[in-house]
This record gives sequence, structure tokens and C-alpha cells, in this order.
Amino acid sequence: MRHPFDLNDLGVNRRTLLKGGVTIAGISALSTLGDGSAFAADVNTLIVASPQTPQGLDSEFDISLGTVDAVGVLYENLIEFAKIPDPKIPGVMREDTASYPDKPGGVNAVGKLAESWEMDPGAKWAKFTLRKGVMSNWGNELTAEDVVWSWHRKFELGGVGLFYLSTLGLTKPEQIKAEDKYTVSFAPDNPNPILVRIMANLFTHVFDATKCKQVGGASDPWAKEFLRNNTASFGPYVVERLDRGQQAVFKARPDYYRGKPFYDRVIYREVPTSAARVSLLKGGAVDVAQFLQPLEVIQLRGAPNVAVDTIDATSMLWIELNAKMKPFDNKAVRQAMNFAFPQEQIIKTVFQGLGAPLIGAMPWFYPSFTDKYWKYGYDLDKAKALLKEAGMEAGFSTTLSYNAGDPVHESIAILYQSSLRKIGIDLQLKKYPAGTFYNAVSERKEPVIFYQDNPWTPDPGYAMILYFDSKSFVNYSNFKNDEVDKLLYQIARSSDEAERVKMSQRAQEIVIDEAPWVFIAYPNYHWARKADVKGFTYYTSNNIRFQDLSKG
Amino acid sequence: MIVSAIGKPDRAQHLPDPAAAADAQASSGPAPTSGLPKESGPGGRRTETGAGSFFLAVLRNKPSFAFGYFIVALVCLIAIFAPWIVPYDPMNADPSQYLLSPRWSHPLGTDSTGMDIFSRVLYAPRIDLTIALIGTLISASFGSFLGAITGFYEGGRTWRKFSSALVMRSADVLQAFPVFVFAIALVAVFGQGISSVIAAIAFVNAPIYLRLMRSQVLSIRKMRYVEAAYVSGASDLGIIMRHVIPNAIPAVLSQLSVNIGWSVLLTAGLSFVGAGVVAPLPEWGSMISMGYQNIVTGQWWPSIFPGLALGLTVFGFSLVGGSIEILADPARRRVLAGTVK
Repeated sequence: MRHPFDLNDLGVNRRTLLKGGVTIAGISALSTLGDGSAFAADVNTLIVASPQTPQGLDSEFDISLGTVDAVGVLYENLIEFAKIPDPKIPGVMREDTASYPDKPGGVNAVGKLAESWEMDPGAKWAKFTLRKGVMSNWGNELTAEDVVWSWHRKFELGGVGLFYLSTLGLTKPEQIKAEDKYTVSFAPDNPNPILVRIMANLFTHVFDATKCKQVGGASDPWAKEFLRNNTASFGPYVVERLDRGQQAVFKARPDYYRGKPFYDRVIYREVPTSAARVSLLKGGAVDVAQFLQPLEVIQLRGAPNVAVDTIDATSMLWIELNAKMKPFDNKAVRQAMNFAFPQEQIIKTVFQGLGAPLIGAMPWFYPSFTDKYWKYGYDLDKAKALLKEAGMEAGFSTTLSYNAGDPVHESIAILYQSSLRKIGIDLQLKKYPAGTFYNAVSERKEPVIFYQDNPWTPDPGYAMILYFDSKSFVNYSNFKNDEVDKLLYQIARSSDEAERVKMSQRAQEIVIDEAPWVFIAYPNYHWARKADVKGFTYYTSNNIRFQDLSKG
Repeated sequence: MIVSAIGKPDRAQHLPDPAAAADAQASSGPAPTSGLPKESGPGGRRTETGAGSFFLAVLRNKPSFAFGYFIVALVCLIAIFAPWIVPYDPMNADPSQYLLSPRWSHPLGTDSTGMDIFSRVLYAPRIDLTIALIGTLISASFGSFLGAITGFYEGGRTWRKFSSALVMRSADVLQAFPVFVFAIALVAVFGQGISSVIAAIAFVNAPIYLRLMRSQVLSIRKMRYVEAAYVSGASDLGIIMRHVIPNAIPAVLSQLSVNIGWSVLLTAGLSFVGAGVVAPLPEWGSMISMGYQNIVTGQWWPSIFPGLALGLTVFGFSLVGGSIEILADPARRRVLAGTVK
């Protein structure tokens, strides 16, 4: 019996379907071959394998790995730290993070969007004179109004920007003023010594306010929707496309005020496993592979056409001991936890030597860092004695939470568990999926939990305030010490750099003694790339800025 | 084999016809009660040694069965005696023995925390088999009993029909979920740990036994001996427990063995994605997960050895399941006996 409606009448039968299907599959396969290969001859393309694409391009709401990389190439700051060659690795540059009390703002900085700046000797204000004739990717000229708008945005939206406002002590939008068309001033409530150096921090960049006001209109005056997926900036790249979970494509701006970067196009691919990133780099499918495991880095050293450098970094890895949960409210117990931690062995094995022991409370090349108060080391007898002092000679049971997505956590956790067993402490391990781990950290409900961070601004007070000020959001260990709070309060408001260093070191002394953390390591930053990719600069924000790179 | 009080008719026929049975009786002597070759004993009873020597004969002639039983026996022995035979503490991390390749002091090498892989591979069956056995037994007993009740009462009066339909549709819903996803969801609700994995295995496997038992019972309840038991005044539950379930057991037994192997695999899979046992409990899946990233960098031993052990164990259980399927069915056993002798 014939069907009333027969597809055959339309010419749709098995043969045509098969032909059509193959054609469609072929076309879509070709189109995904990528823009790179077809234009290889006349367009320099850099392909990067990264754990995650940017989830959003608005730094006010997103601080994920991909977003940090994206913001570093899409946006421009007022200043940046001068670059110096890395003392250990030829061919690699790094930021000059030292303190220069005689220079304006106390730092050795190079102007980017700002051509000059000055700071009140009493640190009560800072003024930036902008470069003239700098155009945004939408053709609008940079003026002081763009800077003012970018900072007012932080007030209005209350996202990540709130941290910067409170760090600078800015409480009213009027404190950021456009003095004239090309001059902008910052005048917080109290003297603030980091007014200038904070402008090199990745998330204090400048938006193209003219374009943002245009696209947002009345319903979205701060252009939240637009900036999530688009660029309105004075930076070297613009986003061409963003396929979350797959890749982001950045295109170089020929009208960038410093000249077009070498790489015309950057394809930023999401490759979640580090083993896969290594394979892609070894096979030549990508030019750069980010965030690899120590063993992978070592193995890459022997690979042909691949170069890998391991660089001293601002990253710090530690274990938070929740001071609000017994028995970690007792200093002796916290110190015992440190004495029972096989730090040196873990750096030798888990990190394969690609890292330094964490023996202080801030990156060791930051101004005012001192390790002279470091008192721990692997000593089980001392640990047992301290437990006895705390009345916990019989030991106790607790839970260590770790991130399933970070392979070093589990290895360190198991090694620590075996070590603690020897002094009678029963450590249960609790694995959190990568997606929920940071919630667990910020909720502060676990007694013992891993954490890794890198403070972006080199300064005697910045890192200390982040982790040890009792009111700081990032103080996940619930550390509270009145003297430290007082010191940090003064550090944030003093213009006397020598005094600040002294106060910071006193705070560091107390923190080391109080042991709010189990100090683990400074993991190195790994720069793994094809041997012909050159020009890398290490930034304190641990991201690659593609505008620095070229092929050599 | 449990022999029912009435005598076991040939199960190859579902609807025994009294006339045919009488004919068969007349032509071949007493109805065959089993397919075993008879040793002469008082009253023609088969003896224990008869069963044993038949079993050994089967193993001799069917090497695949022998291999399966050997593996299962080996794994069970290892699970029982592990604490006495392992050279190192399977949960002691020793950083000085980091990622050593296989050598005399560590026959299967060490992993990224310095734990000896040989000790952990030997210790893992204690966890894997315990979880698999308990989970499968729970699902088998619960599912079988429910299946027997459902099958026995199906097609009956209204409320019984409704309740058996309810049970079957619930089983449909349960089986519609992808097993792995369902297991992960259960673990997410109950938290990570051995009891969660056991619950996951019990849940996902129960419908299998439910259906298996129900289909067996649907045919068994039509047997004459069941009718006779009913007529003689046995209660429903009594009939189910004494006549129906024992005769349906063989299929369940063979499924049980395969299921245990499969449950070991599920446990390993859950541990691999981090939803199974808590680290550093030695468990094959968790060991594979801890070591797989190192394969790319050339340290293959932390993942490969547990993987081999896992594969071999599951294979062994499958072979045993296949053998039980044949040995438990009198008709197929008779065929086998013919080829063995």
C-alpha cells in the first residue's frame, strides 16, 4: 500500500540522503579545519592549548583562568612594570617588582595608556596624564572620561571591582576625577601608598566608555551584556569569536597605538587534560601548552622542536587550617601540623623540584619578603611535643579536602596522611569535584582544605592584607590577630616605604609563628612552547600576553 | 539441587501433558532427576563423589570453565589472605619510593605517592569483591523476591494486577537511567564511600533480577507440581518459597556470577571518576585513576597493572557465569555430560 505522502516523490531516498550527508559532513569538517591553516602563508597564527576558554570577557564578574588570559590581551592598563631579564632563564623577561621609593609611585614603571604620573609624597593622591591620540578598537579616542567611567563602573556593579576600591580606600565615585581631557586623579579617604602600582594590576584596565555608553543605552548603562562577549578597549587584540568550551579567537589590531603585534591571530583552544595538551604540543598541533604537570614538563625537555622553561612565580600553594574549628583554634596544634608536613620530600617528588618550599607568607621576590622567621621543617618529635603541649597527645581525627581537578593535591594529601599517622593524627581525605571546590574553600566549612593563589601586586602590604587581614574576603583560614590587623591597617595608609617594610616584616613574623597555614610550595610557572616562539615575559598575574610573542 | 516433594518433571516442557508423561515413564524407566551419570548406590541415588568427579571431568574438558574457576578462586583467596601476603602496607605513602619502575623490591613498581602497587593490587579485591558481593546479593535477593511475588500474582485479581504493574513500571523507570549516571547521582546524594557504592550497585541491578525471576516464575507457576501444592493446601508464600523460587534459582545464579564481575567494573568506574571509594583505599579503579595521567609521561605501571587485574577478574566471573548457566540447567547438563564422557 502506498503511503499518502511518499518522500520518494521529493527525491529523498536512501542514496540521496547518503550523498547529502557525506557532503554536509565534509563541508563541516573542512570548515573546522580552522582559519589558521588556510591562511598560514600570510597570517601569523598562534595556537594555544589551555585548560579553559574564557567564560566571560568582563573582568568585573569573571576571574577564571581563561578570562585572565583574555583580559591581558584585550585590555590595556595605565602603566606596567618595567621589564628586566629573568636572572635564571635566558630569553625570558619578567616584571621589575622591586621597590623604588625615589620614583613616582615607588615603582619602576613604564607608561602605557598614561605617559606620565605623579604621586603626592604623603600618598594622598595620584595623577595620571594620558597619552594623546590613542584610539580604541571602535575608533574612539582615549580621554580621562574613559578612566573615570571604568572606575565608576566598579562602584555601580559591585563585583570584583569592590576589592580594588576597598584596597585603595576609595569610598565615593567623586574621588576619581577627570581633571581635564587627558588628566585623571585619584584621591582616596586616607593616604594610600599603592595608588600608582595598582594601576599595573590586570583588572584595573580601561574600557572605551564612549562605545559602552552607546551600546548599553538606558537599560544597560554599564554595558554588562555587551562586555561579556565583546571588546571595547585600547588593547592590542579584539575578540573575533568566543565559543565557550571550545575556543576563543583573538585578532590583532593594526591600529593598536604601539603597532600591530606579531601574531595576527591567536586561537585559544580548550583542552581540559594536561596530558592532551602535552601530546598536542609534541605533535606540533599547538604552539603553546599551558599549565602542565611537573612530570610532563620534565618529559618535554627532551622533545624535539619543543622548548620548556620553568620560571619562578608568584603562585603559592598551602593548606588552610580553619581557626574557627577545633582543634585548629590552638596554635600549638597548627604548628605541629607544619612540623609533620614532609615539605622537602614533596617538592622533590610531587613537584619534581620544579618549585621552591613555601617558607614565608608572600612571594619571595616581592618587596619586604623575609624568610628569617621561618621555623618549621620536617620534625616528628617536635610535632609530637607540640601536640602534648596542646593536650592532644592521643591525637585526633580530621578531614582534608582537596580538588579532584588538581593532580598534585591528591598525591600531597596521601603523603601527608601517612606522615600524620605517625603522630597519631587520623586524616580522612575528602575529594571535591573541580566545579565545587572553590565554593568549599570560600564557605569556610571545612577544617582543613587546600588553596593556591598568586597575589598580583608586588607590595609589602597587598598580599598580607589579602590573606591575613581578619576582614579580608580571601582570608579563608579565619586568621585573626589584633596586632596583625593593626599593622596591616597602618601599612595600607602609610607613605613611608621603610616603615611599611618594617611593619610588613613584623606581620610576617607573627603569621609564621601563628601558622594559620600548612606551608607547602611556590610552584613554578611553566612556559612550554614550540622552539621558535619567542619573547615571553613572566607577569605576576601568571598569564601569557600574546602581544609580547613573536616567531624567531 | 533442591528436589521438590512431588518430583521434578522435565523442565524442557512448560505444559506437561499427563498422557505424554505417562508414555515417557513407561518407556524410559523412572523419570530422570538429573543429568548426572549415575554411580550405582542404594536406590539408584546419585552420590556426592559422582557430582564431584563429573565437575572435575567438565573442567578437564572445558578449559575455559577451568580458567574461569581458577581466576575466581585465586581472587577470592587473595582477598582473604591479602593482609598476610602483601610485602608492604598498601596505604603507607613513602615519598622516598616515588614512582619507581618494577624491580625486585617492588615487583609492580610504586605510584606517585610511593605506595607499592603489588601490595595494593593484592589488597584491592578485599574492597572490590566485598562491594560487588554485598551489592549484588542485596539486589539479587531483593529483586528476585519481588520478581517472584510479581510473577506469581500477575494477571490475578484487580489489586494484585495493579501492584505488579506498578512494580514493573517502576523497574522500567529505574532501568531507563544510564547506569553510570544513576550511580553517580546516588553517590552525590549519599556522599562518597563504600556504602554509597553498594547502594548504587544494589539499585541498578535489582530490576535485572526482578525481570529474570518474574519470567522464570511466570512459566513455573503453570507446572503441575505447583498446582498440586496449591490443591494440597499450601499457602501462597509457602508455594513461592518451597517450590517456585528453588526451581527458578539456576538462571539467577548464573546471572549473579556475571553481575559480580560487572559490579566490580562499576565500582572501578565510579572510583575512576572520583565518586567511588575514598583515596587512598586500594581499589583497582581508583588506582587506575591516580595513575592514568602518568602514562603519557612514560610511567605506565600505576595504571596498567590494576587494569589487567580488573580485566582478568571480570573475565573470570563471566566464564564462571557461563559455566553455571550450563551446569544448572538439567537439559544442557545432559548434553554436556554426553560430550564429556
